[in-house]
Formats: sequence, structure tokens, C-alpha cells
Amino acid sequence: MRRLLSVGALVGLAVGLSLLSARSAEAYPQFQFSSGTSRCAQCHYSPAGYGLLTSWGRDESGDTISRGGDGAFLHGLWAPPDWLALGGDIRYAGLRNDVGGAGSPETAFFPMQAEAYGRAAFGKTGVSLYVAAGLRGATRAEKTGDTIHSTAAISREHYLMWKPSATGAYVRLGRFYAPYGLRMAEHIYYVRRYSGFNLFEETYNLSGGYLEEDWEVHATAFTKPPSGFPEVLQSEGVRGQGGALYGEKRFAAMSAVGLQGRLVVNSEQRVLQGGAIGKLWVEKAKLLAMGELDLQRHDVTGGVAYNQLIAFLGATFFPVRGVMAGLAAERYQEDLRVATTARNAFDLEVNLFPWAHCEIVLLGRYQVTGSGKSDGDPGSLGMFQLHYYL
Amino acid sequence: MHRTFSSSAARPSFLVLASLAAATAAAAAGCGGQNDTRPAKWSYLSTAIIQPSCATANCHSELSQRSGVRLDSIKEGYYQLLARHFVMPSQPTQSALIGLLEAQGTRRMPPDFALPQDDIDLISKWITIGAPYDGPSPAPVVSALTTAAGAGN
Repeated sequence: MRRLLSVGALVGLAVGLSLLSARSAEAYPQFQFSSGTSRCAQCHYSPAGYGLLTSWGRDESGDTISRGGDGAFLHGLWAPPDWLALGGDIRYAGLRNDVGGAGSPETAFFPMQAEAYGRAAFGKTGVSLYVAAGLRGATRAEKTGDTIHSTAAISREHYLMWKPSATGAYVRLGRFYAPYGLRMAEHIYYVRRYSGFNLFEETYNLSGGYLEEDWEVHATAFTKPPSGFPEVLQSEGVRGQGGALYGEKRFAAMSAVGLQGRLVVNSEQRVLQGGAIGKLWVEKAKLLAMGELDLQRHDVTGGVAYNQLIAFLGATFFPVRGVMAGLAAERYQEDLRVATTARNAFDLEVNLFPWAHCEIVLLGRYQVTGSGKSDGDPGSLGMFQLHYYL
Repeated sequence: MHRTFSSSAARPSFLVLASLAAATAAAAAGCGGQNDTRPAKWSYLSTAIIQPSCATANCHSELSQRSGVRLDSIKEGYYQLLARHFVMPSQPTQSALIGLLEAQGTRRMPPDFALPQDDIDLISKWITIGAPYDGPSPAPVVSALTTAAGAGN
């Protein structure tokens, strides 16, 4: 009886908090190799990582990543049937943002994410249905005259997938991020923000690929949500249609090289982008180095054209079980013709996993514009997140 | 899983990471020149500066339209900025857009990070030459909606 009450209390808490807000169901690319797993799809149902954890991923969250505990759904108090997987994320955040001007520095505390996930497998056909749904969060609350038009609810991911085995071919149809790049958890990183993978920019896709232990490829055709879809299914950002390719080769379960390309077309411009990623795990030093470089070519209706660069380079240190500390440098150059159109960011991120299901994120970020000289105001961000997942 | 360091296995990734580091360092050192040779055209300003910085989640995308402002396309952004008087053609100092970007007595736009001064100067230059439209036809017909006073705060 006591056990049932505990389950009920946890479910009630999750459902209640899931009415607050939503952000991305994140995965950490830092866990590739460092946690002893080589493929993102070992820990996530999604073939390229992201979202709901597999039973392997849940075991890892208790045994390898955090200081201990049971990573299973509801801490192992109740196990759903084999054909069903459930989960949820709750995240509360606080930040101090200094960009100059009136009202700066800005301090905000807000519910960042509350999202529930479900995956149902249809017998032994290899077919499954995945749905993620929650409420949109916003750092800055609406005020009189400063309203947000969109509805509070959003389903960022929902797809049908045929994936008969852990490795081999798969096909997915529905809404999700096309596999591309490092797929960092924080959407503010330039390699996500400026390459078409910012917050709530998931597209509708037909995607397929092939997974092997030491390599994988993904090909995706995507389009913006049809205008007739309700707002809960719509995406943010600059929208279009196109395709994306991503291929990754891994070496001795300790390093990886990836190549990628993406084309987006809408009625006003065509964006062609391509790049590479690299990862290297040094076991003795407990250090994972990661990098991504993308070049983007914009051809705008009317003859205007320009090239951009987006780069990320970082190292993550795992000093003891349950602690992850990363340093990174980023560069986004809006137009390669002019040096002063760039932003540089320097990040310090510390993730603490004191117990399975629990995480504390501390993030410090300093940005300078242009060439780093006196050609724009610098900005600083300090942030914490308290994260619990079911 | 216990793994031993293998130099042959690490070599491809090391080379890629080293290349990425070199490219990033080169970029950080400053690709391009110091002279701004970019066109003071709205189609450029909208796609290169305004859309990536402003048309994001919970801000001025088609879906969110924060404060009723949409900046996610060349045509719509032009219409919104002129019809709502954020841009006053030939009068950059009277244009609320410049004040918001430079945080002159108001909250900065975009709120997460300042635009490079060269970007603001280019927008100001476009306003100075009359804020002409060069996007896809037909050009939007601008009619006054409301004043920009207070918008963005």
C-alpha cells in the first residue's frame, strides 16, 4: 500500500508539474564514449539520440552517470509492460543575464521544462509510436502589450518508426530534429542556434538510416509543419523544406568523426550548409574533446549572397562519477566578408548528478561581439537548472 | 567498459579535432576584413541579421509574434517595421529600431545579446537611404498600424 502511495505521489507530482512548461528533451553528446557507450541509440529510443531513455540508458543513469540510485521509471517502483515506455522531464531554472541597457542585468526564475513521453511498440513488428508533449516555457513572462501569440502547449516530437533491431536499418516518419551535428543539449550554443536547430524548431520529416556498432548514417527529408496544423504542432524559427545528411564513423569506442550537410529552401532564400564533427575520449585523463565546424551559404532572392561560419570546440572532464565539467569556445560569424560581424562565446558548464533522476546544471557564459575589440557590448549569462526526470 | 588508448584509433578524430581547432582559431582571429563591404539592402539585413537574431522561439517568429511583431520573413519584417514606425525612412535617429538595438534608455533587443555595432550601423545606413524594399515581389503596401512607443519593453 505504501509502495502504491509512493507511485501515486510521484505520478501526481509529474503530471502536476508537466502543466508548467516545456523545453527540449535533451541528451548529452558528452556521454558518448565517456559512459562506455558508443552509439546514442543504445541509451535513447531515437536512432540519433534525444528523448526517452531505453532500459540500457536508465541502467547507465544509475550505474555510470550518477552517484547511484535506480534509474528505472519511477525509480523502479513500478515497471510498465515491455511494449510501453514512459518518462518525463521537469526542469526549473534561474538566470542572470547582463547585456547592457535598461533593466540589465536581468534576473529571472522560471519553469523551464515539463514534458511527458510515451513510446508504444506494436508487437514484434519493429514498429513503434513515440509522442512527447508538454507546455512551452518562456524566460520572460508576458506583460501588457508584450504578449506571445502562440499557445502554451506543444508536441515537439511525435513519430512512427520502423526499427526492428538495435542495429541495422530504420525509417522514421513524423516530427523531430533531423540528425545533424553534435546535437548539444543547450540550444543557446551557436552550433544549434544558428544552424536550424534552435528551440522548438523541430521539422516534419521522413528519415531513414543504418546503424552499426562503429558507424551510422542518417538521411532526412523535411518540411515545415503545414499551415493547417494547429499551433500545438507548429515550429518556431525561419522555416522551409529540404534535406539533411549525417554520417559518423567511430574508432575503437573512443573516437568519432562525422560529416554532415543540409539544404533548406523557402520562398525567400536557399541555405546550403555543411560541416564536420569530431570527438575524442582520453580514458586516462577522463576527458572528452568535441568539436564542430559548419559553413553556410545563403542565396537570397534578388541576388544577395553571403557565407557564414559556426564553430564549437570544447572539452569535458569527468573527475568523479556524477560530475561533468566542460569548457567550450564558440564562434559564429554572420558574414565571412567582415570580421566584426562575429560573436565569440566562452562557456563553463558543470553538471552534477547526485542521484539517478536528479541533475543540477550550472552554466556560465561570456560573449563578445565582432573581433573582440570595442565594436560591441559584451554579454554575460549565469544560469542554474534543477532537473528531475521520471 | 575498459578501453585502452589506441593512437591509431584516435588519429582520425585527433586530426579532425585539430583541424576544427585550427579553423576556429583562424575564424576567431578574424575571417574577412575590417571594412564593411556588405550591401545596405533589406533582403540582406533581414536574412543575415534580423531573422537569426529575432525570429526565434517566444520572440518575433511567425508562431510567437511577441508584442504582435513578426520578423521571420523579408516581406513581413519590412511591413511590420515600417507600418509600426520602428523604422522611419531617412531618419535613423527617430527610428525606434535603432534605439532598441543600442539599448538607448530601453531594454536591449535582442535581449540575449547585443548585435555587433557594424550590424547596427548597416541598418542605420539602410534607414538613412530611405529604407527601400528589395525583397520578393510584390512589395508590401505599408499602412500605419500603431506607434512603436513602448514596443519591445
